[in-house]
Formats: sequence, structure tokens, C-alpha cells
Amino acid sequence: MKTFPTLRSIAFLALGMSVADGANPVESEYYKITTFETPKETALEVSAIELLPGGKLALGTRRGEVWTVANSEGAPEKVQYTLFASGHHEVMGLAWKDGSLYETNRYEVTRLKDEDGDGRADTFATVTDKWGVSGDYHEYAFGSRFDKNGDLWVVLCLTGSFGSGAEFRGWAMRVKPDGKLVPTCSGIRSPGGIGFDAAGEVYYTDNQGPWHGASTVQHLIPGSFQGHPGGLKWQDQAPEMGPKPVIPNDRSRMVTERTRIKELVPPAVYMVHGKIGNSSSFIVCDLSKGKFGPYSNQLFVADQSHSNISRVFLEEVNGIKQGVVFPFLKGLKSGPIGGRMNDQGQLFAGGSDRGWGSQGGKPFSFERIDWTGKVPFEVLEMHARADGFELIFTEAVDPATAGQISSYKAREFTYAYQSAYGGPEIADVIPKITGAVVAPDGKSVRLTFDVLTKGHIHELHLDGVRSATGVPILHPVGYYTLNEIPAA
Amino acid sequence: MIRTSTLLSLAIVLLTAVQAAAAETQVISIKTLPAQMRYDVTDFSVAPGSEVKIIFENVDDMPHNLILFQSGTDVVAVATKMMEKPEEAVKRDWLPDDARMIAHTKAVQPKTREEIVFKAPEKPGVYPYVCTFPGHAQQMQGKMRVGVPKPGLSDLKFALYLGDWNRLPNFSTLKPHREGLIANQLLQIKLDDYKNQFGIVYTGKLTTTKDGNYSFYLAGDDGVRLTIDGKMVVEHDGVHNSSEIKEGTVKLAPGEHAFLVEYFQGTGEAEIYLGWKGPDFPVASLSQWVHPSAPLGGGGQPVVKKKTGKTGIPIVVSTEPVIYRNFIANGGARSIGVGYPGGFNLAWNAAQMNLALVWRGEFIDAALHWIDRGGGAQPVLGDDLVRPTGDAAVPFAVLSTPEAPWPREDKYQLAAGYDWKGYELDAKRFPTFSYEWGGVKVREKFTTTGTAAAGGELIRTLTLTGKIPEKSFMRVAVGAVISGENFTLEGGLLIKVDGAQMVGRNLLIPVRPEIKIVYAWPATAPAHHH
Repeated sequence: MKTFPTLRSIAFLALGMSVADGANPVESEYYKITTFETPKETALEVSAIELLPGGKLALGTRRGEVWTVANSEGAPEKVQYTLFASGHHEVMGLAWKDGSLYETNRYEVTRLKDEDGDGRADTFATVTDKWGVSGDYHEYAFGSRFDKNGDLWVVLCLTGSFGSGAEFRGWAMRVKPDGKLVPTCSGIRSPGGIGFDAAGEVYYTDNQGPWHGASTVQHLIPGSFQGHPGGLKWQDQAPEMGPKPVIPNDRSRMVTERTRIKELVPPAVYMVHGKIGNSSSFIVCDLSKGKFGPYSNQLFVADQSHSNISRVFLEEVNGIKQGVVFPFLKGLKSGPIGGRMNDQGQLFAGGSDRGWGSQGGKPFSFERIDWTGKVPFEVLEMHARADGFELIFTEAVDPATAGQISSYKAREFTYAYQSAYGGPEIADVIPKITGAVVAPDGKSVRLTFDVLTKGHIHELHLDGVRSATGVPILHPVGYYTLNEIPAA
Repeated sequence: MIRTSTLLSLAIVLLTAVQAAAAETQVISIKTLPAQMRYDVTDFSVAPGSEVKIIFENVDDMPHNLILFQSGTDVVAVATKMMEKPEEAVKRDWLPDDARMIAHTKAVQPKTREEIVFKAPEKPGVYPYVCTFPGHAQQMQGKMRVGVPKPGLSDLKFALYLGDWNRLPNFSTLKPHREGLIANQLLQIKLDDYKNQFGIVYTGKLTTTKDGNYSFYLAGDDGVRLTIDGKMVVEHDGVHNSSEIKEGTVKLAPGEHAFLVEYFQGTGEAEIYLGWKGPDFPVASLSQWVHPSAPLGGGGQPVVKKKTGKTGIPIVVSTEPVIYRNFIANGGARSIGVGYPGGFNLAWNAAQMNLALVWRGEFIDAALHWIDRGGGAQPVLGDDLVRPTGDAAVPFAVLSTPEAPWPREDKYQLAAGYDWKGYELDAKRFPTFSYEWGGVKVREKFTTTGTAAAGGELIRTLTLTGKIPEKSFMRVAVGAVISGENFTLEGGLLIKVDGAQMVGRNLLIPVRPEIKIVYAWPATAPAHHH
């Protein structure tokens, strides 16, 4: 724990002095993690979180319990837990609507309701159970909240990593308000979470493995193919999806196969393996209108293995979602799976390390992340341009360092699109940065590159850039997935 | 330290190999354990300077490696250090850049294998191996012993005596009924068919490799005593159950020690557990059965071994019914287990809309699903498990004649023509299951009287609304035997239902709006002790 530099940089800033090199800012100045005690009678392996009326939360767990939580907004010792339901098969999604809690578990979306008002659910109505379950442990089902059309989405993991042993394993499904289950996207591998952006578009995280060089954030467009062909055998049972997509060639590239497979949607962002994380999980959009800091409408994506949260900024180019991921916050106590932000901009995260391990080191956890009110110096947005990128910062930059090409370092690479598990970073291109022009207001910088590579991840280091007050960037590296290069 | 039969048989094979021909290549097969972040072999021995071949097979669904280090290397620290520079680690495929490496595999992809051949060090010692993929090292490690004996039991023998005791007798004055060797070197009870009134004396050599204090954890049902080098270390004499673990500590020098455990069984349950912990290893079991409350072993997880009737994380039923939805063996992939007060238990199959299993006594153990990744179908706890209709099948069918074959179903498929609607809990938390069969709405509830052990009843009430098709039947059971006005199934489960008839092996009733079926077991004789 670097408490010493923290104090020192606070002291420097309080005096309005510039921070010397080496006294780098630290995350805990800006975001505080509060770890809650959890009920002694269970292992609270939080795998889903939902907001309830009256400021309460609902937590779903891998052990199949649903707990309601009161007083989670203030001092952690005041938190109160009540067991709402138990004995379900892994709760990987919770959504509140009209007095009921809609729970996605291993083989159902179930509507839970407390009819007699004693604080415990007594009605467990099946909304749908029409997807296949073979009995393999790996067939997880992650459920969303209700989307803008009133549908609930479920992403169904394959049977293991490679194949699909039961109906619609490896698919994203929509549950319509009448309970009808509609196959919506094929090509899912091993989801870790599902969520919405500020406009209500649906995204899920997938994990490194076959056809995935890294974990990813992927845009679920109805009718699309998301990249893993293992589940395509069910296409015949989904007439609304049209004919089966062309099967991808092995040991190819995503950018190449996109030209062959019209339904193939490339990952919006690669969560670069080993650097950003190894196992992406929840997706939370900051809709708190500034209460969680400067990142309104951006996505926060957790990693179960690295016990961290990263920040994703997305934009749309030529009709395709793409964007950049920056590290955001490390040091969660277990492997985060479930996450949710309340209207006050408090981000709740819970998880478990069971079966895969996590850096946090604790077997399970329930935590809250609060913004301290202090704005870190960070790249707020990174936009692709025809000849480079435009960077927008959270505060004004120092024109001297930000305008200096040597303050930046860039690299372009990709992963093989292949049936083997994972894969190294390949096809390196080292571009030359030809310009770094600071805007008159000091809040943005226009970078020009001699070469951009379509389909490559553009890794940008900004170690030399300082804020107007001389502070280095808190997380001076981002990875932009350039699916499309915008026209000039 | 988790021992597997593979490990043990391997160790025996190795021992022979070491003695017979140290010059030959020693072949060690190590697999990953699917979904567990572990190697199946975590401790093996080789001769100093010998040629060693490790066949590493990755049957898991993610990549792993196996990297062998110099004695004394903190392998977790090596793996953790790599995560500080993930960029470099990724480039190296998580192969450490560390001079202490002796041998290593590459990143071995799922469902593939790699063989590595190397010369074992000449220097005696314990050489650790580990998987360095991020997050794996804490659990995924093992040790290679070179010229160093392995702490544990060897030459384990038993002598079985017959007699009716309520305290440990002086076995040395008695004549054994049977004697023999215990090949897997683990204390165990089932060495003969006797269930009651016998005693066992276990003798062998206990090897230690380090000077220091050794703790022993002993539990028995009934009396049990541990003696090392002629000195009593810990005992729990008399008639009792196995819930209490006694602890004793003794200072031992490195080498072989005379090991003696005396045990007797009165009547009822019979168990023995012995664990130990030394200065150079965490708690490990010296008995086949691992006590559910055994102290933690390595890796921070309770060491759990499956054994019928014994548990890791039992789900306890007290004053209200408890529901457990998960993969229950023979209950289908959409099982709903319900444990009712009074020792009645059932598994409802929510794919077939039928009662899949009924049993009495303890409910179920969640350890299989709540430890590690949680794969597999969990057999139930308790006794007298019955599958009333055998393999997964629907409850109702329209038959042209009662003799027509019952429709067969795949237990993993949702039954055609049925729709699962969920369940409600009443004020006492008893569930009512709801489903539809064609246009017919079915509600089904189980209530109980008394206790399952003392002849109490499990009463199943079905209420059907809607137009019931002609010639529809409910199959209540398969393979029942008529006994008076009622029927019995395997295990003595009694079934009472009006209007039933045996047609071939099927116990059928015509479907009607109200159906009541009563299940009961004969009362068991009261337990002899406890």
C-alpha cells in the first residue's frame, strides 16, 4: 500500500505546487473501495446486483441465494442483510420490475415475489425455461436487466470452451414480455457479464479462449454472429435469424473474416489479455450524471481474475461500435462478477474467486466504490480520426509536454482469429507519431500517425504528458480497437 | 495435500522402479484436474540423477503449464511477480524468466499434452512445481522428491478382532480373526464384511523428514487410540459418534516411527479419521475418510472426500422445507431438491414434471457444487433412495390401451407437451409445483405426517383443472409389488393410491381432477447407540 506517496501528493496539491516526477498520483486519492462484512452463515459469492426501491439492493450469489441489503450507502458497519430466497441454481442476473425480481439462473428466468410482505420471496414463477441445459458445469447463463423495449437478455455459455451440447448454448436470447424466448445473436463463447450503454444498446463480455485472443466487450446487435462458431448448429431452429453464417476460416484475422461473413460483428473493445485483465465480467454504465466523477455515460468493466475494473469509452464509426479501454481501479478483494451503480454514483461490486482464482485473494466479497470528489488527470475520451486520434483529457494539459511527440509511444497489434485457445499478440506495427497538437483550451490533443491499421488494437502510452499543474496521467496507457477508420 | 488413487499407485510403482532400476527413465504422468485448478499428482519421488520423463496432459478447458524449480523456491512469488509485468509475461506465454527453473513445459493448450525429459538433480531435496498462469499458482502446485522420503505411512497392516466391547480392549491378549496389508496406506474400516462388534489394530511405519512438533487429529465411531513409538499420543475411548476430533501433539525426529492405532466398533455407524500436520506440510489425512470438520489442508479449501453418508457442506433441514436446485444425480439437469422436516426428501424433475427421487434421513451435500467450479451431479445423502418411476419420464400420457408402452423421454430435454410454471411457498414454506399438460393446469403439493424414520407419510396431492383427455393415465411407479390393498417399491417404500392397477411393470391410475398418493417407509428399528 502506497500511503506515503498518497499523502505527499495530497500535500503538494494542497499547496498548489507541482508534483515532482516519481511522486505519482494513486488511485485511492480518487476512488475509495469500501469492503463490507458479509453474513456469517453463508459464502456471499456475489454474482448479480440489482437496485431495489427505497435505496435497497438485491444480491444474487453463486450458491443460489438472493439477499436484500439495506443501508449499503453509508458507513459499512450499518449494512443489513436479509435472505430473500435460497436454493436456486446460480443467480447470474437480477432485474427489478413492477414489484418483482426477475432472476436469471442456470436454466430459467424466474419471477420472484414476496406476496405476503414478510421480506422473503414466496412466488417463483417461471418466465421462460426454454434453453438447453446438459448438466455440464460450464453452461452459465447471464441475464440482463430489462432493455428499452421491455425485453430481458440472456447470454448462454457454450458447453465448455469449444462446442454446444444443448439447445442454444453459445447464443444471446431475448425474453419478450410474454415470456417468449427469441434467439437473437449467435457466436457467444463464455460470457462474464451483460449490460447496456447510455443509449440502451446491449453489450456482453466474453472471455479469452477459442476464437478469442483476449477477453472482449461485444455489441449484441440482433441477427449478428459474435465470432465463435461452436453454437451455429442451432441456427436451423431460429428461422428469424435467417440462413447460417459462413463458417470462419481458422487461423485467420477478424478483419479478414468480416469481409467473408456479413453477420460477423467484431469485438467493440479487446480487453488486452494479461494487461487489462484475463477474465472480463460485469458491465456498468455510469448514468449518475457526474456523481461518480468525470466519466458520464462511459462503461466500467470488471475482471474476475485481476480483481480490477477498467474503463471503456465507445464511439460508432461506419456503423460499428469501437473504442478504448483504460485501467481504472485495482485492488478489489475477490474476483468481481456482479456490479451495479446507484443514482448517487456509488458503484457496488461483488464476486468470488472459486474455481479460477483471482488476484484479490479472498474467496468472496461485496464492496462499494465511491468517488472522493477529486478529479484524476486522465484521458477522458479517445476518438479515432482518419489520420490518428483525438484525445480529450479530464483537465487542461501542460502544452509543452502534451505537445511533444516524444511524450507518446504507440504500437499496433492484433490477435489471430483461431480455433485454438487464446493466442499471442501478433502482427506488430510500430507507427510513427507525426504530430501532437494541443487545442487552444488545453483540454484536447490531436495526434497524427503515419499509419493506422484497420482491425488492430492501437496501444498508446502517454508517460510524458503532464497536466497544467504538472501531474502525470494516473493511467497513462490505453488500448483502442480500431475496427473502422473514419473518413477524413 | 490431496491424495488421489493415481498418486498412490504411482508412488508405489515409483518406489518399485527406484529400487529396481534407478538407471532407467522414470515416467511420471501428470494430468490437470478438470475445472479444479489442480494437478492430479502433487507429490512424487525420483532417484537422484536419474532421467525423468513427465507426461503432462491438460484435460482442463484452459491452458496450463508445469514448471519445476530448485528446492526452496517460493513458486507462488515467482508466479505473482510475473503479473507485475503482464506485458512481458504475455510475450513469454507466462513462462518465468528465472534461473531457478529446472524443467518446464510450454503453455499446454486444452485437450493436448506435452512430454518433457530432464535429469533429476543429484542433490536430495524437495523440488516444487507449479502452473504459472495468472491466478493458478496458489492451488496448482506439487513437489518432486529427490532422495528424500515422503512423510507418511508405509507397511500398513491390520489385524481384525471380533468382540463386544464398550471400551478399547487389550488387543495384545486377543487372537486376531483376520490379518492383512492395506495397499493404499490409509486407515479404513471396511476391511471385512463385519458391520458391528469388531476391533481393528493398525500397525505400520510413520516416516517424518523434519525435526519438530507433529499434531494428530483423531476421530472415531467408536473408541480409538493413537500410539507412536510406544507412547500414547491421543485417544477417544468409549462408545460415541465421530463428531468430535481429538488433538494430540508429539515431537518427532526425522526417520521411521512405530505407528499403532487401535479402534473398536460397537453397533451402528462406524468411522475412523486420522489427520496430521508437520513442520514441513499442512494438514493431510492418514485415513480414507476425511472428517467434514477436519482442519484445513493446503490451498485454503477443506479437504473433502466423497463418501456416501458423509458430507462436506451438508444442507441441514430444521423447521421448514429447504430447496436445493442443482444437478442432483438421477434427478435430471433441472432438479429441485426439497428436504422436508421429519426426514422426508424428494427431487422434483422440472424438465419432466415428475417426482424423480424420494429418500429419507439427511437431505443433500452441496460440497460438489460449492467447492471449486462446482461440476457434476450430486448423489443425495440419507437412506432408502427410491426412483418411483425409474428413468426420467412424464407423469401423464394418453394410452390407446393401458398395456401400451409409456413414452420415453430424454432426461436432459424438456418434456414435449408440458410447460413448467414454477412454484409457490405457503406460510410454512411448503412448495406447490405448477405446470401445464396440454390445456390442463396441474398443481402438485407434498405434505408430511410424523417422521420418515417412524412410519410417517409423505402425501402427494395433485389438482388438475381443464379438460382431461380420454384414456389418460398417470404412471405412479414402475416395478411395484402388490401388498394387500397397497403397493411396495424397492427399499420397502409403501405406496397408497386409489384406483391403481399394475399393468405389466407400470402402476397406473386413470387421470382424475384430484389425485392423492401416499408414500411411507416402514419404521426403522431404534438406533442401538448414541
